Amino acid sequence: MEIRDANYRVWYEASSQTIYFEGLLRLGTNEYEPITNLLNQILETNPAALTLHMHDLAFLNSSGINTLYKFAIALRKQGKVKVTVKASSLIPWQSKSLANLKKFLPSIDIQTQ
Amino acid sequence: MIEETIGQYEEFQNLRDYVSLTFHPTTFPVRWGQCSATADFLADYFARMDSCTGNDRNKKTEIQSAISYVLNEVVENAVKFHDGGNVLVRVGVKDGALLIEATNQVKEAQLDRLRATFEELVSGDPHEILMQRVEANADNPDQKGSGLGFLTMLTDYSAELGWKFSSQSATPGHVYVHTMARLPLES
Repeated sequence: MEIRDANYRVWYEASSQTIYFEGLLRLGTNEYEPITNLLNQILETNPAALTLHMHDLAFLNSSGINTLYKFAIALRKQGKVKVTVKASSLIPWQSKSLANLKKFLPSIDIQTQ
Repeated sequence: MIEETIGQYEEFQNLRDYVSLTFHPTTFPVRWGQCSATADFLADYFARMDSCTGNDRNKKTEIQSAISYVLNEVVENAVKFHDGGNVLVRVGVKDGALLIEATNQVKEAQLDRLRATFEELVSGDPHEILMQRVEANADNPDQKGSGLGFLTMLTDYSAELGWKFSSQSATPGHVYVHTMARLPLES
């Protein structure tokens, strides 16, 4: 499962239960729908755990942040998935905005390298 | 004649040094990727000024990223909501802060809604509003806009926001909305 454009790529590796986010995501709110659908499809496969791999996501605009936070809420409501975020200390927006994921999904484990 | 400010708005004429870009989107439609390119150009430009970022490489990266984020959001908004007229983007430095302003024209009938939105942002607790907004967005998947642009500037970037409504030079029945974000350069 993969969504891609010239500037970004989002894909799921089922064997490692990891969702990879890569590139520069600055889309209009409605343009995030395919990514939202992909995230929901992954959730419907009932994974025991999920890793959100953000190391290569250089930029995310506020509509993208909204998409990510809403996914955290969907995971909280589902209540069964152990979620880990792999963030990069070299990408400034990640240390500013990813911490808020804990407000929507308190059990989330954010690992910054 | 309409002339009104909300929040921390500062006139750009008071700055000695600034950069301005004017877009004419009626004849040259501005797309999302172009908002991003505008933000990155100006972020790169100001990150090269030692008076903004000093010599610390990490600090440069952090400030460049913050400028790019905030600019991209205000330019996207200005382009998305403009109704005729030009879109003007200005960036300058004053008193240890970067001032970012986007100006666009809207219909006068939009003023009450915009005023209420902006007043809530400057008077409420942005962290609290952000939580409520995302929960509401999750319950309404058909929501057109996320409403998180200004909120994340306040919560994640310690920005101060201000707006000016002005009918000066506007098309009849329209008003110019000046949106200003003040981004501290000292952490």
